[in-house]
Amino acid sequence: MDSNIIKLKNCDPNLVNEVIEAGGTNAQMCFSCGTCTGGCPAIYTMDYTPRQIIRMVDLGIKDKIFKSNTIWICAGCHTCSLRCPRGVEVSKVMSALKSIAIKHGYGADDDPSGPAWYKSFSEVTMRYGRIFEPELMLLFNIKKSKNPIELIRSMLKDAPLGIKMLKKGKLSLLPEKIKGKSHMKIIYENIKRIKAEEDVCSVYLNKLK
Amino acid sequence: MKLAYYPGCVLPTSGKEYDMSTREVFSFLGIELQELEDWSCCGATAVYNMDNLLALALPARNLAISEKSGLDMTTPCPTCSYWLWKTQEEMLDNGTNKEKINKALKGTDLEYNGKIGAKHILEVISDDIGVNKINSKVIKPLRGLKVVPYYGCYIVRPPRKNPFDSPENPTSMDRLIEAVGATPISWDMKTKCCGGSVVVSKEEVALKLTYDLLKKAKMLGADCIITPCQQCNLVLDAKQVDVEKVYNDKIDIPILYFTQLLGLAFNISPKKLGLDKNIVTVNKLLNSLGLSSN
Repeated sequence: MDSNIIKLKNCDPNLVNEVIEAGGTNAQMCFSCGTCTGGCPAIYTMDYTPRQIIRMVDLGIKDKIFKSNTIWICAGCHTCSLRCPRGVEVSKVMSALKSIAIKHGYGADDDPSGPAWYKSFSEVTMRYGRIFEPELMLLFNIKKSKNPIELIRSMLKDAPLGIKMLKKGKLSLLPEKIKGKSHMKIIYENIKRIKAEEDVCSVYLNKLK
Repeated sequence: MKLAYYPGCVLPTSGKEYDMSTREVFSFLGIELQELEDWSCCGATAVYNMDNLLALALPARNLAISEKSGLDMTTPCPTCSYWLWKTQEEMLDNGTNKEKINKALKGTDLEYNGKIGAKHILEVISDDIGVNKINSKVIKPLRGLKVVPYYGCYIVRPPRKNPFDSPENPTSMDRLIEAVGATPISWDMKTKCCGGSVVVSKEEVALKLTYDLLKKAKMLGADCIITPCQQCNLVLDAKQVDVEKVYNDKIDIPILYFTQLLGLAFNISPKKLGLDKNIVTVNKLLNSLGLSSN
């Protein structure tokens, strides 16, 4: 019984704003109708429903959100965002939660595949300027595997499809590097700088509060 | 009519037949596609899950290149089309992101002013060219072919201000199927997610969602499913064998890009439309139309 009581001291009232800054919408607009949950195609396997996640964002219950599998199962189909009568883009809140979790390394221990996928995708994109599928898959498997045996098993599992695609001429073995490859580095550094300036700002603003 | 063509990362590789059939169909319709010079990845939703500003800066680089040439952009990828649209929207919105987007491009010699946007090729074909024109161009009507239109997510979602098709019940592909003489099958899963974006990280979820779609289409007696999305196509087509294994159920239903279907009605050879590159064999379907995959 006691475990169901939310203790305010365990809540982070800044989470709702952190989510907005990370590209989500305001979870406080939610009136808990559950339309998001009703339309979610992947609900059958989530431990918390989208409605519960939104409520927990509002309350700032970080530990439960970031231990939940829901944010990583969300396929970003945006049905919830489309139907929300309060204009909460639930799927974008899920994306924002993913980016916060990745930034702080929350909850990646028991199933690292979600963070591993988004990290690998971004790394390969920024390296070549375009996606290079074989390296993306290799990097993903390295990042998510807990030991070499698991890595080999994952690679073997992917192999049949890779071979099929190669035979059909649908897989390139060399990355297509763009001429403006240097742009990727510039853009990345610029964004790091912009974010750092913002972080300084938000620390300052929080102090003022 | 001339458009800047942004293929997106998947089209030169695993979505090759989508690229081939798009170019063929546009050329047949007399629209020149000029591949965007030195285009780069739009970042898709995967990058958005890492950083929301990077997810706008990467499309902005491409839009800025297109803006230099003055050509409107089109792309076959629904995800690219959304993020390109979203970036223009943020520029026109005059919010805080407007300034940040160009700050992110600083030092690349590129600047984006929000003048050029991007449309998905389905919008160009169904709205700008128009269903009537498509119908008038048909050389070989695909009579008797029962086709399930599967739209997926990004064609209609996330919500946009002026969607080109209904987000809950889109009909653009239904009308195109009719225009080429085939029969669209009405169903309730037009925009139900296939799980494509989690097929790598949460495969079992994607296989379940895909199985539901494939099974329903099969039960409705479809000869094939058509899609406007390389990601949906990848799971429905390339992963179909895995779905069959996991659920111990033979499905065997061809998955075509909507451009491949149009191409057949325009009497473009199956080879040129890349129909030999589809993973689930389309031979039976082609035979029923009196064609072969070569």
